Amino acid sequence: MSTQEQTPGADPLHLNELASDPELLSDFVVEAREHLSAVELHLLALDQDPKNHEALNAIFRGFHTIKGLAGFLGLPAVQEVAHEVETVLDLARTGGLTVTPKHIDVILASKDHLNEWMSELQELLTNGKTPKPPGSQELLASIHELSANNVETAPAGDAAAARDAAAADPVADPAADPVATALSSLSAATAAQEPASGVESRSGESRSIKVDTQKLDFLVDMVGEMVIAQSLVKHDPDLAITGKPRLTRNLAQLARITGEVQRTAMAMRMIPIRQLFHKMTRLVRDLSRKTGKQIELDLIGEDTELDRNIVEELADPVMHMVRNSVDHGIETAEERARAGKSRTARVLLKAAHQAGHILLQISDDGRGLSTEKILKKARERGLVAEGAQLSDNDIFNLIFAPGFSTAEQVTSVSGRGVGMDVVKKQILKLRGKIEIQSVAGKGATFLLKVPLTLAIIDGLLASVGKEVYIVPIFAVREMFRPSGEMLSTVEQRDEMVLVRGALLPIVRLHRKFGVQPKTEVLSDSLLIVTEAAGKRFCLVVDELMGKQEVVIKSLGGSLRNIPGLAGGAILGDGRVGLILDPEGIFGMAGR
Amino acid sequence: MSSSVLTAEAAVAMKTDPRAGKYLTFGLGKEEFAIQVLRVREIMGVQEITAVPQTPDYVKGVINLRGKVIPVVDLRLKFGMPELEYTQRTCIVVVQIEQEGSKMLTGVVVDEVSEVVTLQGADIEDTPDFGRGVATPYLLGMAKVKGRVKILLDINMVMTTQEIHGLAEALA
Repeated sequence: MSTQEQTPGADPLHLNELASDPELLSDFVVEAREHLSAVELHLLALDQDPKNHEALNAIFRGFHTIKGLAGFLGLPAVQEVAHEVETVLDLARTGGLTVTPKHIDVILASKDHLNEWMSELQELLTNGKTPKPPGSQELLASIHELSANNVETAPAGDAAAARDAAAADPVADPAADPVATALSSLSAATAAQEPASGVESRSGESRSIKVDTQKLDFLVDMVGEMVIAQSLVKHDPDLAITGKPRLTRNLAQLARITGEVQRTAMAMRMIPIRQLFHKMTRLVRDLSRKTGKQIELDLIGEDTELDRNIVEELADPVMHMVRNSVDHGIETAEERARAGKSRTARVLLKAAHQAGHILLQISDDGRGLSTEKILKKARERGLVAEGAQLSDNDIFNLIFAPGFSTAEQVTSVSGRGVGMDVVKKQILKLRGKIEIQSVAGKGATFLLKVPLTLAIIDGLLASVGKEVYIVPIFAVREMFRPSGEMLSTVEQRDEMVLVRGALLPIVRLHRKFGVQPKTEVLSDSLLIVTEAAGKRFCLVVDELMGKQEVVIKSLGGSLRNIPGLAGGAILGDGRVGLILDPEGIFGMAGR
Repeated sequence: MSSSVLTAEAAVAMKTDPRAGKYLTFGLGKEEFAIQVLRVREIMGVQEITAVPQTPDYVKGVINLRGKVIPVVDLRLKFGMPELEYTQRTCIVVVQIEQEGSKMLTGVVVDEVSEVVTLQGADIEDTPDFGRGVATPYLLGMAKVKGRVKILLDINMVMTTQEIHGLAEALA
């Protein structure tokens, strides 16, 4: 094995033996990230109330612990930044410095810097990529500035001496005696551990443990298999023959228990939307500082739980909508005062459950959407014909068209016209809906409705020849066996059927997929009235096999983008059934 | 720089062939192929494969691998050999391949599976030029084991390359 050439001092990544132990390093990254998250929360609290000593102490402990751990592992660059911030915080704690928003800005920036470090270290752990340490010169300079500026107003002698000592220290520390430093940092770190974890538990969390998400996903997969295996046993024809009552009872009990276990496993993937909301808190604060507007964020329903993946997928769209609100919707304090509104604008984020869906509301009390501006822009972009009659709702929905934007100038925050159509696409991807409500001058509301679980759908099992396909029930309107009079053909080629007074096109699944059906005679087949993308049509299948709740599994690799297929699912007998994508099928060639 | 001089043979012997290692050998038609064991996840008897429309003929469909849905490719068809009806000896070899940075499991249908052999660098020779402009980047080389020639496949390349029909003709 080759050893890396390292010139001590010049190489900030002075990874000694301890740091090259992946488990230790991994633990450090996880812990540090947690401390940094907590630090951010406390910083935002401190921002609201600069006299909040509890928050100040918590932030101090956070950086102090990270400094200690970094020293133990031999990461002097991380140690240095943490140390500098700790110095400033210590001054604040002892009254030698008053916390202003400028301080919060710099400390937040330090937190971001350390987060970057953690990402680089994570890269090292997962891909073996040599970490690229983020530049720290500017950051350190701004941190120094913080303590320097306040020394004049504080009691002179002591504070100045303390600052000089502190400034002298970091230079000496990492270089001088790593072992001594490491040992002292280690004892300091363990001493700091207890109070730090105390803060964690006090922040109102229910009792919980940390679980590696990989283990969780594996468990959910295994439980899924267990349900199938159990179902195979229960429906085994040999068992049906014996018909012993005790056996039947036991199998029923097994089925019940398996169902419970599955429900619990799925529930384990649910997490509260809180983390998404907290991201917004930070975002709104940063935006409000940047734009100079006064904004207050109200959060309701942070305990609302949803599937982990959905939370991740919603992050970007929600962030974009909040940005839009702040940038375009909310007026400056002066404008608001002139309009008779409160100088501070309010943004509301509300989450709630409703019948298997999660409702997310993003409201602001700003200008609201201007139908005139939108219509004008849409006409300019050629999206709307002259003289077309559009309801307010139609006009609002124009903002989802690609390339659309009514911003007078492209601001650095948003306004490039990329946003809303991407947001809508993302919501549709989650099989959700998005609605707009707005009153000019009063404000605007975006309502998102997303199904609770991405992965499970109710499916209708339909056979075509030897193949079994799964038709998503949400697309099914009705099913019937047609009689001759209902059927007709247009131009020798397009088959149609009369359903409740409407003529619907017929789509022969066997032709689209190239499979041999049991019969080509329509009056011997089953027609499934399907609706997709606003269009109704009839799918032709041989028979209905049943109804099943299925977990959508991606077909993997190159099979992912086949038109007409949404994925695969494991059927009760262990076979794979292909899940149809009704919209895709309608658009496929080969009638 | 070192000033010691190595003899040609000693220099060659010192170089370890990166292709050396354990291989799983299997048969396709008259030929014997081998793929690196590190890529093999499991081997199973051929089972019912759900056909997927709109795929090339060598993509037989998908199967249920303990709750995961994975695609299955018929190697005969991929290489342009005539298709054969599946027998009791037909196997699906599940391999792990990498495409665009992500790892995937895929099944490969083969006539029969033979054994695992350990190949040394000395056993492996470079692929001969088949002439007729047939480029074969998916062939790692050839190896002679117990008097029989095995063709070493880079299974990753095989699965990620579109058309490999030339192989059947080249080997004929």
